[in-house]
Amino acid sequence: MRLYEFEGKGLFSKYGIPIPDGKIAGSGSEAAAIAKEFGRPVVLKAQVLTGGRGKAGGIKIVDNPEQVGAVADELFAMKIKGFPVTRVLVEPRLDIAREMYLGVTIDRINYRFVVIASGEGGVDIEETAEKSPDKIARRPIEVGDQVYNFDAIAISKKLGLEMSHFKAAAPIIRGLYRLFVEYDAKMAEINPLVLTSGGKLLAADSRISLDDDAVFRHPDLAEMGIEKRHEEGEMTPREEQATEWGIPYLDLDGSIGMFPGGAGFGIMGNDFIHYYGGKPANFMDSGGGPSPERLARMLVLLDENPGVKAIFGARFGGISRCDDFAKGVTMFLKDHGLSKPMVCRMTGNMWQEGVRLFDEAKKENPELFANFEFHGIETPIEEIAKRAVALAEQAKGGN
Amino acid sequence: MAILVDKNSKIMVQGITGGAGSFHTRRMLEYGTNIVGGTSPGKGGQSVEGKPVFDSVEECVRETGADTSVVFLPARFVREAAIESIRAGIHFIVVVPEHIPIHDMLKIRQEAVKHKCTVLGGNTAGIISPGQANLGIMPDIAFAPGRVGTVSRSGSITYYIADTLTRSKYGESTCVGLGGDPILGSTFDEILWMFEQDKETKAVVMTGEIGGVYEERACDTISKMKTPVIAMIGGIYAPPGKRMGHAGAIVEGRMGTAREKLEALTEAGAHPARTFLDIPDILRKLGV
Repeated sequence: MRLYEFEGKGLFSKYGIPIPDGKIAGSGSEAAAIAKEFGRPVVLKAQVLTGGRGKAGGIKIVDNPEQVGAVADELFAMKIKGFPVTRVLVEPRLDIAREMYLGVTIDRINYRFVVIASGEGGVDIEETAEKSPDKIARRPIEVGDQVYNFDAIAISKKLGLEMSHFKAAAPIIRGLYRLFVEYDAKMAEINPLVLTSGGKLLAADSRISLDDDAVFRHPDLAEMGIEKRHEEGEMTPREEQATEWGIPYLDLDGSIGMFPGGAGFGIMGNDFIHYYGGKPANFMDSGGGPSPERLARMLVLLDENPGVKAIFGARFGGISRCDDFAKGVTMFLKDHGLSKPMVCRMTGNMWQEGVRLFDEAKKENPELFANFEFHGIETPIEEIAKRAVALAEQAKGGN
Repeated sequence: MAILVDKNSKIMVQGITGGAGSFHTRRMLEYGTNIVGGTSPGKGGQSVEGKPVFDSVEECVRETGADTSVVFLPARFVREAAIESIRAGIHFIVVVPEHIPIHDMLKIRQEAVKHKCTVLGGNTAGIISPGQANLGIMPDIAFAPGRVGTVSRSGSITYYIADTLTRSKYGESTCVGLGGDPILGSTFDEILWMFEQDKETKAVVMTGEIGGVYEERACDTISKMKTPVIAMIGGIYAPPGKRMGHAGAIVEGRMGTAREKLEALTEAGAHPARTFLDIPDILRKLGV
């Protein structure tokens, strides 16, 4: 879960990391009023959950207080990488002597935390890492350990700070690490960490990403107004519908509707379709143990997509059972109806029951199954993928 | 032979009285898995499927000699449960639930390494040594005893590969699910090295996917192995920068694309497969 800059800065404050004065505006006139309060040139920063905000024009420096309202209105009219701007952070403009980078993240390969520091901040750290790796210091910290004074000194030197600044730098380094650990963060960055010409250290921007799966441990986040949020940029109407139903779904530009099991085959099945000369219309993940209702909804998404010419179904029942799969498909056939050709393979846990349910439903309403082709374990999944590609080609030819 | 579990393993289930715990305990027992008991704090003295329930792992180990644990508990309890098992002397833990908090998994890994315990998961379908033991949620139908080992992040991929190996009469020595969560208890290289030391395993199929860092970590091990490795990576055609299902399956900048992973593994000596049906063909050519 990514945090907005102002939310991250709120956490910085809590951990004794100095931040610029600043207030959130929800409109141009609010921004103008805040700027007036400051009585100084200000910087207006669009609050969006994406990187590259500066390059996209989401940060404006305004020297003339009269213009703040109008400039803020421009920001409110923007969409940055699909994210509409609904809030703008207004801060007094800083007098910057130097920009540095300080971050804490997880070293997944070595199963530990790592503090990353660079004397060159304000830019994309991945870029610096690639172009001049020597300008970046990585200080590993074992899980459960702390940032010692000697760690802080080494980090501070790598930031390019004199020892005269160490007294101010050490609490920032330690505070960021504690925040990272105590809030179950995946990443916590100050970029840039600014040294002002007055010799003060300030966190001029924040980039924090918390672990969604650990949010339950931090009820205080909700009190701060920080709740689970939607983090994708622009979505298609179908993606919005799927999100509403809690189904991981992506629109792609092909003609084969993908109705796979879990994410593993969801990803690989898309490759198979490409290998056999087709193109998937979507990516989808049923999740572990989907209910019949959820499966029926997944099919609705595909059947109602005019780009879909044929549907490729795969179910290898593990935690998700074949009887539930058959119930879901049958529910869809009865309540909605299948307007596209669909080929499907089902095997795994409870497959006998799944087959029985299909046979029974087909006996009752054979017409519902007119477009539905069903295979069991005897047919390799590759044959099913090829068949789906062929069905889509036929359907296109018929148009 | 097999790796990590066989018919002599003494297996306990943490969360044995819960819905998923009791359902899969029955399935595992039906397969012939040697389940000796389970835990559920406060329910000590009860039994599930004829197996004794204990309040703590320590008691379960003392009374039953359990050496292996399968965890069927909500994600938020896994940290405590795994550390309890590790400290009680369990040397192999299978974490089935998904969405384990990342910092918890890091802590579990630290404890496991310290006590020489192997952890699979979170979000793993489990592990099966066909004909001997089935731990987790894998469907029996796909598997048959044999001579090829498999290791994968995804449950469904494991089923498809085993299904292919079973029909082509190779069968499987052990099939290992590493799990789909972003931080995993074990890595490809560690499991591959176990297969290398198993005399009955004549080849290994490893399948990874787009995103994350664990496949690359296997290269060094593959280059040192005598047992041939067949590698498959999902997501060759995945659109970059999009989140596809598994928490682990996100391309991080330029890192972790499927093509790069497959190239790196091939360079290290693995034999690349595109589809499941390629696998028996490659095995035949290798003379396995």
